[in-house]
Amino acid sequence: MADWQIELIKVVFIWAWALIIAVVMTWVERRASAMMQDRLGPNRAGPFGLLQPLADGIKLFTKEDIIPERARKILFVLGPPLFALPAFSAYAVIPFGDKIVIGGKEIILQVSDVNIGFLFILALSAIAVYGLVIGGWASNSKYSILGGLRATAQLISYEVPMGLALLTIVLLDGTFSLREIVLQQQGTFLGFLPNWGFFKQPLGFIIFLVAAYAEANRVPFDLPECESELVTGYHTEYGSMRLGLYLFGEYVNLVTLSAITVCLFFGGWSLPYVDMSKFLGPVSYGIASFFVFFFKQAFFLFLFVWVRWTVPRFRYDQLMGLGWKALIPLGLVNLFITALLVQLTT
Amino acid sequence: MPRRPVVQKEYTLGERVYLVEIAKGLKLTWKHFLFNIKASFRQGPHTVPTCWQYPEDRREIAPIFRGAHMLKLNDRGQELCVGCGMCARACPAKCITVKRGKPAEGEEEKYAGKTMSVVFEVDMLRCIFCGNCEKACPKGAIVLGQDYELAEYEPALCIYDKERLLANFQKAKAEGRLKPPPKPIPVDAPPPKKKVAAKANMAVKAGRKQGVEKQPNEQKDKETS
Repeated sequence: MADWQIELIKVVFIWAWALIIAVVMTWVERRASAMMQDRLGPNRAGPFGLLQPLADGIKLFTKEDIIPERARKILFVLGPPLFALPAFSAYAVIPFGDKIVIGGKEIILQVSDVNIGFLFILALSAIAVYGLVIGGWASNSKYSILGGLRATAQLISYEVPMGLALLTIVLLDGTFSLREIVLQQQGTFLGFLPNWGFFKQPLGFIIFLVAAYAEANRVPFDLPECESELVTGYHTEYGSMRLGLYLFGEYVNLVTLSAITVCLFFGGWSLPYVDMSKFLGPVSYGIASFFVFFFKQAFFLFLFVWVRWTVPRFRYDQLMGLGWKALIPLGLVNLFITALLVQLTT
Repeated sequence: MPRRPVVQKEYTLGERVYLVEIAKGLKLTWKHFLFNIKASFRQGPHTVPTCWQYPEDRREIAPIFRGAHMLKLNDRGQELCVGCGMCARACPAKCITVKRGKPAEGEEEKYAGKTMSVVFEVDMLRCIFCGNCEKACPKGAIVLGQDYELAEYEPALCIYDKERLLANFQKAKAEGRLKPPPKPIPVDAPPPKKKVAAKANMAVKAGRKQGVEKQPNEQKDKETS
């Protein structure tokens, strides 16, 4: 097989895989929330209600596509893709496995190993906010515009701490490439802990996680779309598959964010204390690394759902206060200490 | 009673950091999650404690539930209804139509009384299921049963005629869902004794009836009691 064919297969595979996880996540979200609230959730369509997302998709596709009369039509149409596309593209730089050897050819399980790695992801996630703001503005409705405004306010309060938390990882590993960061997390730290970013940067991890919840627009920071105050905020006026694209992009965003968390703080595809490549064949090692990565990712996906049904929503000013008064100083202190330690030890 | 002042609680450091409290909350939701996951793997109906999945799981109905009507037969298979129309009079929704008649020649065996109802219709669209017909019936012939799924495709089908009411009874009898006989009201039980305060109350009421000028009297009553 030519190189471009392999690349194409990788692109299609990872795209489909992210889609499948996102679809299953909508089901997990509904069933798990039901179980946490002593309900049952959708359990009629298919076994355990697993076909429910399919039914929802068919419903969204066959609904009438309405554009409000007073809306700004071009921007209104542009909003949902602008939100969903960055979420999909960000998955391109994530290493979802180590490498697999087929027919003497070594294939790296990553669509492209860009050397600016998660700078790319940060840039895309900043673009995704345009989707919310434009959608909210173009709808010409008071709830939508409030949702859009909140999205911007949220962006400026979480982007900085997130960047600060990620910088510490760069300082430690000396690279932006996600694959190399994962490779450097193998082995042990202080002799007994896995050499994961989580153990080296616990504070950085917490700051990153809080910022990730804000970026994914999830409870406790789902201010742009709070159902109770803003009638789902920026996508109030959207219907049919445009709405579907917004909802779906959100879940793809979750998938991407959990993947980044695993890559940066939990050693990617590597198992702690065990080197899988020693006792597994080249093909089975590739598959095993893929599934190790997936299970770590699944835990963080579940954590998103779990936190959503536990914590109430923050107020608008509380989030700003948390971002500017707590997370940024903490991030700066963390960055300073890390820089000092790195300088002293090397 | 003076109102207690609102004391604003000072948050401790752990509470202001949020993370510990969020962890506590996560523990609680996890407990519910695990419990319900385990419960949903149980066999049989009604697995998750708070949910009855209606068409499959049904709640047990109280024996005195007031559902669809039925006309009773006695042990020898004779209709109890004599067509007196007491139920139609007692009905606040005017949903019962009864026409009295005499049984035809040779059919006297079918009826317990000397007369019978030629027409007996209950309009289920109007019925409010109050149970007054049941109380009014001198023969205990009309009874509210336990069926509650009364939807029909056409309004005309909601008017139950005599055959349907009798069929309801046969069905309930076959399924053993007949209402237990009502508890007899004790006739010669001693009247409940009331204390002196009750008497004073009565005096107050009497005073109100007679007019405003009796008020000082009322106060005296209160003092004596």
